[in-house]
This record gives sequence, structure tokens and C-alpha cells, in this order.
Amino acid sequence: MSAERVDVVIVGSGFGGSITAWRLAELYRAAGVSPRSIVVLERGRRYRHVDFRQSMDIDHLSDVYLLIQGQGAQVVTANAVGGGSNLYLAASLRAPRETFERRDRRPGDGPPRRMWPRAISRSALDPYYGRAEHGLRVQRPTWDQVSKSGGLWAATLHSAGHTCDRVPLAISEQRCVNAKWCHTGCIFGAKNSLITNYLWAAEHAGVQVRPNLQVESISQSSARPYRFVVQADVMDNEGPHPTRAPTGHQISLECKVLVMAAGAMGTPPILMRSQPNLPSLSSQLGHNLGVNGDHVAAIEFDPGRVRSVLGLPGYHEFYKGKPITTMSYDWWVGRRSHAYDGTRFNLQEIFLSTLTNFLYDSGRTKPGGPSWWGLQKKHAIAHWSNRIELLAMVEDTQDGTFFSPPPQGDAARANAGPVALGTFNYAMSEQSLAIRAAANRVMDGIARHRGLGRFMALTETEGVYCAHPLGGCRMAESPDLGVVDDSGAVYGYEGLFCIDGSIIPTSLGVNPSLTISAVSERCAENLVARAAELGLPKRPASLRFRTPPQHIGERVVPRR
Amino acid sequence: MNRPDAAEHDRLHALLSRRQLLHRASTLGLSAIVASALPLIDPQAQAATPGLSDATLQAFADTMIPGRRASRTDLGNPIAPLAIAGVDTLPGAVQTDALALYHHPEIGFNDLEPTFLADLERRAVRHGGDFLHLDFGARVQTCLDGLDFSNPARVIWEAAAAVPFTAFCAAALIRDATWRQASGYRVMGLPGIAPDGYADFSYRRQMSAERTRNGSLP
Repeated sequence: MSAERVDVVIVGSGFGGSITAWRLAELYRAAGVSPRSIVVLERGRRYRHVDFRQSMDIDHLSDVYLLIQGQGAQVVTANAVGGGSNLYLAASLRAPRETFERRDRRPGDGPPRRMWPRAISRSALDPYYGRAEHGLRVQRPTWDQVSKSGGLWAATLHSAGHTCDRVPLAISEQRCVNAKWCHTGCIFGAKNSLITNYLWAAEHAGVQVRPNLQVESISQSSARPYRFVVQADVMDNEGPHPTRAPTGHQISLECKVLVMAAGAMGTPPILMRSQPNLPSLSSQLGHNLGVNGDHVAAIEFDPGRVRSVLGLPGYHEFYKGKPITTMSYDWWVGRRSHAYDGTRFNLQEIFLSTLTNFLYDSGRTKPGGPSWWGLQKKHAIAHWSNRIELLAMVEDTQDGTFFSPPPQGDAARANAGPVALGTFNYAMSEQSLAIRAAANRVMDGIARHRGLGRFMALTETEGVYCAHPLGGCRMAESPDLGVVDDSGAVYGYEGLFCIDGSIIPTSLGVNPSLTISAVSERCAENLVARAAELGLPKRPASLRFRTPPQHIGERVVPRR
Repeated sequence: MNRPDAAEHDRLHALLSRRQLLHRASTLGLSAIVASALPLIDPQAQAATPGLSDATLQAFADTMIPGRRASRTDLGNPIAPLAIAGVDTLPGAVQTDALALYHHPEIGFNDLEPTFLADLERRAVRHGGDFLHLDFGARVQTCLDGLDFSNPARVIWEAAAAVPFTAFCAAALIRDATWRQASGYRVMGLPGIAPDGYADFSYRRQMSAERTRNGSLP
């Protein structure tokens, strides 16, 4: 099979891949070169906004999600052109400065040190955060635009003597109808997903985006200036009954620069499968997998107490609004005596999906009875509309390790359904357990404050449920501590980059998409600066990075 | 319960440590757990449990999310006469087609079913007989046994429990469900699809003091 030759291959079309594609497209256009030689490979299929559905039926779930069940963690990933941006809840926050100064780490994880490379701090990232906020059209909702569930969380915290902030969102207030169906893809084009900005702009500029191609392995090319050969399976994702498995056909691409942007669940397995061809990869590859400190729980409110204690006109409307609108930093700020020791967390009101019912205990458990199933649980489910869900984002350690790469893709998929078996384990450190217990105590206390509600804890598990996988190819000062440097360049291989969530070395305390975007903006800028030495067009002095234009496309328009 | 043959068992152990499986992640429902339980399949169970039936699966689903008695599901499928214990006044998981979801090819529970039912019935005998003919209290005790962390096959039980939750809370077999079609949504108070959204989604007032000027910490 002869390989098609291109300048750049980008593996994955999520935040890292799309941002890199757009910045490289700007370089090529400024240099007077067509960006056609930049190719983005995506394992999933294309979606228009009108292809998404407000439905959790098994066929739609199988189309858009992949739930990877590892040992000790279950990780939700996306499966489409535009990656996780199609399904994320659009909370777009800058990580607090303390995050980048953290020194806490899993026992045995190297010498005492700052876990992020020296070059990266909050102040160093701020310009890139700003760039990403413009690109993703991040806006902070007014209080008039805060969901009742978010308002209830804020009022509850206020009643207990705490503060609560509105969360900046990559959602258009003009198009959003507050239907709370972000998690299966926004049919209204209101979520500023990558198919409306970075990725659309890159493709419109001339970058090739090729869906249904799952990269399996890479090897080195001996035909300079080409450096890498990429092997990809053609996926059967289209039609009425897709198998969502490789068709048996493969393609091969040869490139000068290879950007791995398949995310923390995707990039490490591909590189691990490629290790026989890339023997100098860091021994840290596949280690330090994290979950961004995700820890979920719920509160069921007593509508009568909501009226009498909080002075609100009741609450029975968990299903209305946006999925995330408020959060509290009160368990992060002011903990000076706890500098860098992994005891902070933030508490965010969230709506994950109706399926998360399964995660919590009933809040009504009787001694000797079941906690998360049975008649008491049924009674809890019957009061679902009185609930809010909470996401504690805690300072945990990155406790996961891929013990081997799956034969194909990022997990072993037994059928066309939405679930696959991951080849990683996740055994939480004492710190990771203790900080979650601390978050539980705080949430429990707030729920019980003045009899407002019941706390429903994550049930009888020592593992984690995660929508924010990070790490596996973490950035570090040296190859003995990480896989890439602070610009995403893979140690030992010129022209090979990782630009995605896999390079993030710690949990962030906030939802990670904006930090992944900011880090990606920084990595992409570095790549553009080095373009000529890698055989790509030289950066013209006149090049200025612009905000990608926005394109909404076909969407559902509500009747009102 | 018989163990899988040694070679197969060793092969699967190389992929997934059983001990870690039993201490593994939370249970988002759906068939993540089904997938993770596949290594525990007992190939002897099919022959050992010829009498086990869909009615027993329905009875188990009714123990996880109990409901009122009914003869047909949301999709019009039959409900076994003894399956629903009738301890609640609202529809339960059986009525939301948990059985059809057990058998859905994209869930994959069919591979686990013989092993699961064999363990279920073995434990049910200690509480008075076959599971389908137990009263609700004895069914609960049987399931407490099966879902106890001391049960080496617990992960299969979690998989079996995930299915009724998915049928009930996600209306997994109804495309673009509303509460008119999906009795689980009706119980939850969830309207389902909302093509026009909600105008009354907000209290429209400031609820608390804020720490930051723009939403992010410095």
C-alpha cells in the first residue's frame, strides 16, 4: 500500500486538533500556500446540528458516545467530527493560578517538583486563554440567564454563608432555548462547538477533514523530508446499521509533521501500539492518566423548604435551563496553609444525564436495606425533578495507567453499542480518596443546612466516573518525567507532537476544555514558529493570529 | 458457580484483574458494566439452568426499580404474571421494557444471562425457592446477597442492575421519548424532548455574592 504524502497529519478533531488545524491554516494562507496538505483524521462521522437528537435511546448513544470501562474508572468520550465539543456542557473556565504551582503527586511519582513545566503558569497562559475564549465565543450568563437549578445552588450556598459565581459558557444566549439537552448534541446550534468555529474555519480555509478514519499506529519514514507514516482503519460508521468497527480497509499517509490530538483515551494507546517503531518514547507513556478530579453527587431538595427557607417559588424543574451555570470557589480560595498540598476543590452545579440516577444512593437508605436500588431508590427517582447534581472537581493525583494498548482504537468494543472495555487501571491514591471524602462532607453539610434537602452520595464505589480524562502523555521538564515538553513536542522525535488533553499533568479544579484549548493555542503557536525548520512554510512576519470566523449551519429553530 | 475453563480464564485475567474489577469504578448504568463483566462468564451455566426464563429477568428488574402491576410494557410487550411484585403505585422498570433492553444486541447482556441467572437462583433458594416465586422481601434479600462485595460474581449483578436503570431513566428503547410514551420519564417528571425549550428556566434574580469579576479565579 503506497502512502499518500502530505505536510501535516492531525489525528483527532477535538479541541487540540481543531485549534492546531486552524492556526496552521492561517500560516499556510499567510505564506501563500494552500492548506490542502494539512489533513485532519477523525474516527467518528460528521454531524450537522440537525443530526443530533434530544434522546438517550441506545442507537443515538451508540452513535455519539463511547463509554470506556477500565479497571477502577469509567470514562465518557465522544465520537464525531468536532470531538468532545459536540457533547460537552460548555463550561469554559480558566484554571486558578494555584493549579499550575501544584507539587502534590502520587506516591512514587518522581522527585519533589512543580508538576507543570516551568514555562507554564497562569500568567503565561492568560494570553492563550483569551485567544481561546474569543474563538469559542465564551460569555458569562447574566443572573437572568442562570438556570433554576444553578440559582438554587447559589441560593443554598448563600443561605449557608458561602459565595457562588456564574460560570462562563461557550453557549450563544441568542440561540439557546434552555432545553438542557446539551449532552446529546445541541440541535439548535447554540453550543459553540468546534464545528461552528475552529474546525469549520480550518476546513473552510482549505484543510482536509476526513471522518471515519481511526488511526491505529505510526512509524518512522526514511524518505526525508517526510518523517512519519500513519496507518488508519476505515470505520463503518454510516448508514442505518453501522457496525462502528473497522471495515477491513486501511489507508496510509506519510507526513512531515504529525500532531497527535486524539485525547487522553486515544493518543496514549496509539503511541503505545507504535512503540516498536518509536523505541525512544518516554517510559512515562501511558502513565499518569487522570480524571480531572471529577467526583459527582446530588442533592434532592424539599420544595417546601425551598420556599420557606430560601424564599423561592418552589423547585421542580431540574430539566430546564443550561446544564452548568453556577459554582463555588469557597473550598479553594483562602487555603493558604494548604498551598500545593492537594486539599482544594470546587463545587459546581451540573446536569450530566438522566442515567446518572444510577450513580447515587437514595438518600433514604434504611439499615440493612439497599442503598442504590429498590423501593427507596424508586422513591428517590420519583422526586428526580427536585434534584440538582453536583460536580466536585478536586485536587487529586493522576492515578491511572494503561497496562497495554488495545488491539485497535482506544478500547475493545464487543458490539456496535456505546460501551467498550478499556485497557487501563485506576487505583486512587490516599490523597485522591481523602479529598473526595472531604468534598462529600462539605456537600452533605450544605444539603442538610436548615433542612433544605438530602445528600445523595456516589454509591459504594472506590472508583471514579469521569467525563474529563487527562494525561497519559503528560508534559514535563524532561523525558524521564513526561512524554512531551511544554510545547507538546514529543521527546526524542522531531516533528511529532501531542496537542490535546493527554499532555495535561494535573487535575485543574475546573472543567478542562478551556485549559486544553489555551495549552493547544500555545503549542500551535510554537509549531507555527518552528514550521520552516520542520519543512512547512516559513512564518511570514505579517502573520497575525485571528479569531476563527463563526459558521452555524443548518439548525432547528424553535417556534417561539 | 462453575469457573470458566482454565485457559480462557487465564487469558481474560491477563486483560483484567478480577480483584480490581470488584473494586472498580462507579456504575454509570448502561452496559459499561455488562462489558466489564464479560470475563466472568461461566460457560457451564447454560446447561445448568435450563428452566430460567425472561420472567425471572423481569422479576429482577422489578426488584431494582419496583413498579405497579401491569400486563404490557410501554412498547406493548407482555409482562409475565408473577414478575411484578406490585409494591409501588407508579410504573417500574419492567413496564419500561427492561427485558427488551436485556436482549438488545448493542447491550450484549445475552452473553451474561446464563451465568447471572444461575447465580441468582442459587442464592434465591436460600431465601425460600426460585426467584420468580419469592415475595418482594425475599427477592430484596437475594439481591442484597448477590450485590454484596463478597460475591465474586458481583460485577455480573451490577451489569444486570444497570439495564433496568437504563430502560427506566433513559428510555433507551424509545427514540426521541416524551413522558407520554415513556413511563420512566413520567415518574421522574421529565418531559423528554423539548424542541422549543423553556422560557421559565430561570429565577431571574441574583442569588448570591460572587468572588470573581468574570467567573474564573485569578
